Amino acid sequence: MLRYIVGRIGQSLVLLFLVSIIGYFVLLLAPGGPMSQFALTPGISKQDLDRIAEQMGLNRPIIVQYADWLWHLLQGDWGASFRDNRPVLTVILDHLPATLLLMGSATAIAMTLGVWIGIMGAIRRYSIFDYAATVGAMIALSVPTFWFGLIAIYVFSLNLGWFPAGNMYTIGSGSVGDVLWHLVLPASVLALVDVAIWSRYMRTATLDVINQDFIKTARAKGLSARRVLFKHVVGNALLPMITLAGLQVPALLGGALVTETVFTWPGMGRLFLDSLGYNDYPVVMGLLMFSAVLVLIGNLLADLISAFVDPRIRLA
Amino acid sequence: MATDKTTLFPEISRRKALGLMAATGAGLAVPALIGRGSALAAAPDKPTGQLIVGFSQEPTVFNPHLLHIEVDEGVHFAIFDPLFNVDPDGKFTPALAAEVPTVENGGISADGLNWKIKLRDGVKWHDGQPFTAEDVKFTLDLMVEPDFRSWRRAGHDLVRDIKVVSPTEITWRMEKTYAPYPSILASTFIVPKHALGEAADKNTAPFNNAPIGTGAFKWGKRVAGDHIELLANADYFGEGPYLERVIIKYIPDLNVLYTQFKSGDIDITGLQWITPDHYEEAKGLADREVQLVAGSTVESFTLNMGKPQFKDPAVRAALYHAIDKQAIIDALYYGLPTPTETYMPQQSFYYNPDLPKHEFSLEKAKAVLDGAGWVAGGDGVRAKDGVKLAFTCSTTAGNHIREQAQQFIQQSFKDIGVEMTISNLPPAVMWGDYWMTSQFDSVIVGIDFLTGPDPDTSDYFASTSSVATGGAGQNTWQYHSSEVDKLLQEGGNSLVPDERKASYMKLQEVVRNDLPLLPLFQYTTVRGRKKGLMGFTPNVNNRIDTWNVGTWYWEG
Amino acid sequence: MSTVTPANLDLPPENWWRSRTARRFRRHRLAMFGVVMIAVLTIACVLGPYVLPYDQLFIDLRARFAPPMTGGHIFGTDPLGRDVAARLFHAGRISLLVGFCAMLISIVIGTVIGVLSGYYGGRVDAALMRFTDAFLSFPSIFLLLALAAFIRPDPLMITVIIAVTTWMEVARIVSTEVRSLRERDFILAAHMLGLSNSWIMFRELLPNAIGPIIVAATLTVARAILLEAYVSFLGYGIQPPLPSWGNMLNGAQQYLGSAPWLAIVPGIAITLAVTSFNFIGDGLRDALDARSDLS
Repeated sequence: MLRYIVGRIGQSLVLLFLVSIIGYFVLLLAPGGPMSQFALTPGISKQDLDRIAEQMGLNRPIIVQYADWLWHLLQGDWGASFRDNRPVLTVILDHLPATLLLMGSATAIAMTLGVWIGIMGAIRRYSIFDYAATVGAMIALSVPTFWFGLIAIYVFSLNLGWFPAGNMYTIGSGSVGDVLWHLVLPASVLALVDVAIWSRYMRTATLDVINQDFIKTARAKGLSARRVLFKHVVGNALLPMITLAGLQVPALLGGALVTETVFTWPGMGRLFLDSLGYNDYPVVMGLLMFSAVLVLIGNLLADLISAFVDPRIRLA
Repeated sequence: MATDKTTLFPEISRRKALGLMAATGAGLAVPALIGRGSALAAAPDKPTGQLIVGFSQEPTVFNPHLLHIEVDEGVHFAIFDPLFNVDPDGKFTPALAAEVPTVENGGISADGLNWKIKLRDGVKWHDGQPFTAEDVKFTLDLMVEPDFRSWRRAGHDLVRDIKVVSPTEITWRMEKTYAPYPSILASTFIVPKHALGEAADKNTAPFNNAPIGTGAFKWGKRVAGDHIELLANADYFGEGPYLERVIIKYIPDLNVLYTQFKSGDIDITGLQWITPDHYEEAKGLADREVQLVAGSTVESFTLNMGKPQFKDPAVRAALYHAIDKQAIIDALYYGLPTPTETYMPQQSFYYNPDLPKHEFSLEKAKAVLDGAGWVAGGDGVRAKDGVKLAFTCSTTAGNHIREQAQQFIQQSFKDIGVEMTISNLPPAVMWGDYWMTSQFDSVIVGIDFLTGPDPDTSDYFASTSSVATGGAGQNTWQYHSSEVDKLLQEGGNSLVPDERKASYMKLQEVVRNDLPLLPLFQYTTVRGRKKGLMGFTPNVNNRIDTWNVGTWYWEG
Repeated sequence: MSTVTPANLDLPPENWWRSRTARRFRRHRLAMFGVVMIAVLTIACVLGPYVLPYDQLFIDLRARFAPPMTGGHIFGTDPLGRDVAARLFHAGRISLLVGFCAMLISIVIGTVIGVLSGYYGGRVDAALMRFTDAFLSFPSIFLLLALAAFIRPDPLMITVIIAVTTWMEVARIVSTEVRSLRERDFILAAHMLGLSNSWIMFRELLPNAIGPIIVAATLTVARAILLEAYVSFLGYGIQPPLPSWGNMLNGAQQYLGSAPWLAIVPGIAITLAVTSFNFIGDGLRDALDARSDLS
């Protein structure tokens, strides 16, 4: 087991290395640069911009810059933001809670709804409910998240006035209730895709379990259908569910980015777009690496749990 | 005027728009007076209340001498002071200097080379240390320190032999006469030697994230990505502060910025203010003052004269005729901006109001092109001597209204046999080498050509300012005219505004005639604040509304 | 693309329509809905502009923000007074084409990597799959934006960029498929006949893996259309005046209160197209899965 874990971590590090190379070279080989945005600043000249670029070491060969960046990263130094010179890690960690809150709430909504829809669909297989859930899931997977967000704002914010159209809290308030009130729309929008995925998954998982002998035995022993289902089905599906949650991390991060944009949610997605707009390479790279680490941890946990549950995998 | 809220797309006529401008222009003078003198009695005895300013970009650079964007200056103006400020009329008013140096009062020698500045006595930094001439020397030295990433060296690099005569007097010599230097000094905030001077690396010093100044407000705290809190400096040497606290709130979306203004969550809209489409509604809001304020940015359709298509003056004149400026202003910008014929803001002392007026006429445009020998080919696109009148037009992707104007212009050009292809780019690409080294054909861009109130535009118009032809500067349209060079030279040789004026009036005439850039309009911004907020004074010479936030207060 | 012909399904073309796979597919109601929908959308996008009274590029500032069903504008007009319906159909051409071409490129990349890795196994497999994993480790929208932000965003580049971020799933599917086929008798026989590696990979193995590839291809079209919409919505994709479904939505948020049709109309088009392709993909998967007959 230990060897397996060490091996997987090793592989993950190689992956991170690849990710960093791809990301860094894409960013730095592209035309333009962090100085471009200042071109039209009154009173600033091209010489000033060229000089500052040189002082910041931006005109060194890209391979040297990369090596420098990597060397610092290996020592735990993620660099400093071009925008405010704060350490990249601090900047990211500042934005992390908002994103985690959004992703966490969305996952909670998605799991609750998805599990329920999935189980109901499986029990009433081929019913109208099942069919509607299937079609609904397919459509949910096809709606662009941002568009769903726009429509949600249009209906629930602009027309009905139930929820705010954006932001994380009212200025000056920021109470828990206030944040929750702001959270409803973005979290629901982000949850949509996951509800679909969870419900499909739970439907299959439930069907698998229903046909197994021990369930039939349990039913035969007179346990109520509902109790059997929720105890055994959910119990049995729980570990694979965590696996799935792990595998959902990249999609969720991507979804969060778009949702944060539509709802002006102050999380990592917004930070990414802002930093991209400012050509803030250190932060963009930091976010790429950070999200890659999150994804790898998600995958690793998913695999470890599978391996833990299913000993055969260890042999692979 | 009845405001029909369901009329979402008001047809604001040009006359009405101009009327509005005039009305607000007249209204401008009133708060200016209140803020500066007569109504002082109404200001509270001690700092009271708080102000929430909403900005659509986040201030992140607090050392005013590092590379920053305009929104950062919202913090700089509150925390720091320059030697002297610029008022809305372009006049300098003393701040840390006891008196504004001029040729008349002997502060500057007649040739502009020797400077002597008397400093205000008894000024304290926020940490209690006394402010002295050493701090001024430190600041001027810092601007040109080799390792420091100073955002601007122009002018400062001409300063020699800085001498601290006494704690309240400093002198220096300029390597050569440099007319814009007073304007540059007016936006050069003095920073404390004792707080920044000891730092090993001034680019990353702790000071940069917890600045210490002499200004009306002290640094409170920053919640990154959200807001910045500034606190009243009770020991401030000047007028004010009257507010206990100023909160600069970052709201990354203009629609949300407006919504929060409407709901009262923010007291005043800062950069980028209220979008033109909300103006009509905003005017009708209860307990809000909404004001049209001229910005110093001039929107133009610039032509790269290095390209064969644009070498012929007839082409430039014809294209200008083909742009329906008024339709763009009225329909797309809701009638708010002011049409202009020059790069000079109309509020400037140097503005030339007598330039020929633009006339939109597709017939004239066609006639000019016909007359110059540009004839339509089989595809309907005109050509002459093997040069096709086809080119690309670029602007920053994501500026929706400008992109709409661009597509509108494209259609007009098509009507006169000119093929314009749109090729918009992300900002990072657009304003990099593509712009700097004149790789574009044409660009729609809003530029603030001046440095504060100074009319010198050598960086944009001198022949030696085109990077593409080996120069240094932003004459990216490659406009090379010996007459322009001569006028720039003349205007830059004097530090006396009245002497300089003639050169710049003439310069605008020449540029209007040559049309390296087709001037479209000068921006008008819609600024809103809660009723009862006093002291707000628009200043076209500064980039930020809160330039005088120290004198703001709540009525009653 | 001669490999993606019905012939490779080991069935003579004339019989294909009556094959069990085809029958299963035809019975799949959602899939058939998808096919019809895509056909309707395609026809509308190809022919629509010729039928409508307005040109998609014709600007009429006096008619800006006309609501749907006024002045002959079925879907209303945009901020420049252009007919939204005409633009929608033109945009559809771009979006569908970008989606389809991105899929082709993505399938080619994915298939080549998948076949090589599945066939050679061992270190080649490990290296290629780690490479694939590296791409999968980026949330694709991050990678897509990072790429698009710095590249001149014309339709071709957008297509390539989308392809670059969508080939990984295909590679994995093909690799798994090939790995399981590799040990089959007919491949062993081919080895004994001394056929070259590339012959075996692309003439023997690939045709037998075509089913999953077609399914993946359909789903990839859906994904590509969606990605184009995301990137263009965020302003880094196809640039106006060339319309795409995504960039028609870019800026629509600003007019959500005053001209909601600007957001609603293109969004429905995207959803319809993507849903349809997903339905078709689902139907194909069921149809190609022989077990589905048993249940």
